[in-house]
Order: sequence, then C-alpha cells, then structure tokens
Amino acid sequence: MMFNATAIQNMPTGVGAITVGDLLWFVIIIVVGVAIAKVISINVRRALTERLPKNERELLTKVIYYIIVIWVVIIALPYLNVDLSGLLVAGGIAGLVIGFASQSVVSNLVSGLFLMFEHPIKIGDNINVAGISGSVEDVRILSTIVKTYDGIYTRIPNEKVFTSNITNYVHNAVRRFEYSIRIRYEDDADTAIRITKGVIATHPFALKNPAPSVFVDKIGENGINLTARIWAPTRNWWEVRVELLREIVKKLEENGIDIPYPQRTVQFRDDLRVTTGKEEE
Amino acid sequence: MFGYYNDTFRYEVGDILVETERIDGLLTYRRRCEGRAFERILVSKTGRLIINPVEPVNLPKDITDFLLVEFSPMFIEPGAIQTIYLKFPVEIGVFLEAAKDIKVLDIFGAGSQKYTLYGPPTNGIIARWYRSAVYSEIPSVERFREGTLELSIQNTTREWVEVSRVVFKSVNMKIYYDDTVAAVTTMKIVSPTMAETNFVDTPLMPGMTRSIELYKARKIPVIERGYLMEWGFS
Repeated sequence: MMFNATAIQNMPTGVGAITVGDLLWFVIIIVVGVAIAKVISINVRRALTERLPKNERELLTKVIYYIIVIWVVIIALPYLNVDLSGLLVAGGIAGLVIGFASQSVVSNLVSGLFLMFEHPIKIGDNINVAGISGSVEDVRILSTIVKTYDGIYTRIPNEKVFTSNITNYVHNAVRRFEYSIRIRYEDDADTAIRITKGVIATHPFALKNPAPSVFVDKIGENGINLTARIWAPTRNWWEVRVELLREIVKKLEENGIDIPYPQRTVQFRDDLRVTTGKEEE
Repeated sequence: MFGYYNDTFRYEVGDILVETERIDGLLTYRRRCEGRAFERILVSKTGRLIINPVEPVNLPKDITDFLLVEFSPMFIEPGAIQTIYLKFPVEIGVFLEAAKDIKVLDIFGAGSQKYTLYGPPTNGIIARWYRSAVYSEIPSVERFREGTLELSIQNTTREWVEVSRVVFKSVNMKIYYDDTVAAVTTMKIVSPTMAETNFVDTPLMPGMTRSIELYKARKIPVIERGYLMEWGFS
C-alpha cells in the first residue's frame, strides 16, 4: 500500500476549508511555541533567582510565558482560516486604550527592572529618596518599600525612585562625621586638640585610616571653634558618633576645658551711675 | 587555659578569670576580663567546654572578616623570599561541644582593639588593625594577648617593593596553640601594588594543637581561598 503524504496533507477535515496539513501546522506551531515559552520562562526564572523575591519572580515568569503563548497562537491561527484583520483593528484600539491606562504601571515596571539590574539600593540599606528617609524593606517590581526611621511603612512607586536623587548612606564601607567643639578663649586650644585626639584614638571604631583630624576652625564670638572629623564603619557610625561625643566632652571637662557661655562686652561712654526715683524728684 | 574541660574548673591569670561552677546542681560558666563580665547557666550532662584562640576580628563587635597587620617598612629585592615574624592580636573563644554539635559560648580578649580601612572609601574593606614590630626569630609574646605570625614574603616581580602591611581574610586563618599562639602565613607579591596572602595549615612548632575556627562552629559555609591585596602594601 502506497503512503501519499501530500494527499493526506491536502485531505479536508470537514471544517470549512481546513486541511489536515493546516491542522498539523497549527498543532506543530503551538507545541513548538509552548515549548519555547517554557524554556524561556525557566531561564528567566533562573536568571532572576537572586534578584527578585519569589512571588514577583513567578509573576514576571508567567507574564513572559503567556505573552509568548499568545503570540504563538496569533501566528498559528491563520492555518485554521481565522481572519485576524478584525482582531487586529480591535486589538489596536484596545491596545491604545490599555496603553494609555497602564502608562504609569509600565513606567513603574520598567523602572523596577532597571533598579533591579542597576542595584543602587539593596534591602536593608539606609537611604533617602524623594525626601523619604529610612531603611529599604523590599524592592518590588512596581514599588519600593521603605520603613522610615520612626517605623512608618512607605510605598514609593519605582518610577519615582528611579528618577529621583537616591542617597544611599550605607553604600560605602565607611563614612565621615564631624563635631564642632567650642572652647573658651582662656583654654589652651592645643591641649583641647590633644585630648580630643586621644579620646578618638581609644575608640575601636574611630578608624585608624582614613586618619581623624582635629583643628581650630574658627575664632568665634564667644570662644574658639574646634572641628573634629572622624571616619567610622558605615554600619555603626551612629553609635561611634554618640559614644565619642560623650567621651570627648567628659575628658575636656575633666581637664578644666569648658564650653563657653555667650558673652558680650558692653562699653559706656560715661561712668555708670545708679540712680533712684527719689533723687530724680 | 586553652584546652578541653569536662567538669568544673577555674583559671585566673592577671585580669582574666574563667571558671565553671556547680551551684545547686546547675553548672554556671563565668568569665571576667578587664572589668567586663559574662555568665551563663549550662544545662549539660555530656557536653564539654573548649577554650582556644580564635580569629581576632570579633571584639568589641563582629563587623569584619579581615585583619591588617602593620609593621616597619621593608624593601624587598626582585625575586627574594624572606621569612619574618610578626605579632597578631589574640581573641579567646569558648565553645560548647556535644556529640553532634558545637556552639560558640563566649569570645573575649585582653587589650584594646582598633579598626581601619584598607582601600578607598568607596569600595575598600574594614579590617582589624594591629601594629607589630618585625622580628627575625620567633619573638616572645604576651600570652592571651598576642600570638606569633610567621610571614613568608615572596617578591615575584622584577622591581624592588616596599612592604609595610599585610591583610588576611580571617576565615582562612589556621591558628595553632600550646603555651603560645601561632599562625603560619604567606605573602606573594604579584605586582608592585598587589599581593596574595594566605594561611598555611601547619603548626609553627611541632606538638601544637589546631584551634577550632569560629566559622566552623557557626556553620558558615566558606570557600577557603587566600586574599588578594589589591590596594597596595605600603
């Protein structure tokens, strides 16, 4: 018995003008398309394992999978003699409407993807973005969650995060802080500098390098202004700042160096004379 | 003080006191070191206490994995290999060991600590800083405060290089102890600004016992690799 493939392909199925060949092509395109969609979504999932939380990773993977599947179905449908011209017109109008409606969503989504790849912020970082300061709780696909320092949950759309100036306080390993210390004119500035440097040297986290600096910064109205600049590990700079200031003030006071009170020298043209109301009468 | 303890003990030297005491059937671990005290009740029938020197990067707070030892600058000619001895700070770890588990109970150390930045502020690393003199022979050390670091420096470049500091990654540290604490290290200068440092898993003197490392007790998986000093060594 002879097997004629062309004859089988051209054999009508009984549904309109669709042949067995058309049906076969439809099935092959769908199967191959679904397989490609599966492979791509698995690879996307793998690539995003470290970069996205699980729920968002799964959502994005599914979106990519279904976009590919829908595209494949659109490619395959003409084999079933489905006229897509009407669908295209309707799809175009619908696309326009959806496009306008989801403009900000897409913008946030794209910004979110850029944030994930550029990595200007990480979960746990202390940041200031769009005037909001706090620690990053989560970087999601559409928004970034920041817990402010007073414990308030704040959701910032990713577009805003991406287009704003981001200050990441913990991006570098170290950061510098400074004190302005005022001493009286009668106190010895060199002694005050030596004592301050001594206190800084004893603190484990006041870094050896970059070296701290203490210097006379300004001759003020009421006293001499010293400035101390200290580098500390970013993760615990605040506790270093608080501990050192307390310790410096204590040591200066122990050595008789005090913070000056505001003072004003007033000169009178004539000698001062105390008068009472009776004398005037 | 270093070693294994199955029952109560008391060790006091200078400002350091370490003891376990049984009060009303409860075993209490107590430590005092330079005015700082620590105490815990231990519920254990089969466990034992291990005290040994550990990687010196935990006090007063664990913020880094790196140790930087600074020493007097020395010039090394091209191709030269030289072994020198330095001192490094010692921290003491107390571990609780049972049949299938080991846990860090306490870490303490005498003396002060200081930290520094190695590299630029933008991408450098924080390291525990220690200043040492350079010795040509094994120096005498103040036990429980410092250990001996044997450092073999090899200049593989074609230039004279000046060396005055060495940075180690603490997770690679192999510390040995007996009456004293020691570690054997290498520094291979691969370019005028870069050097590879590593620990050698061998005792400085025969008969020394290997310390239990903190990362093993904390079950932190690490890849033991040397450290590449890429921001210079002087």
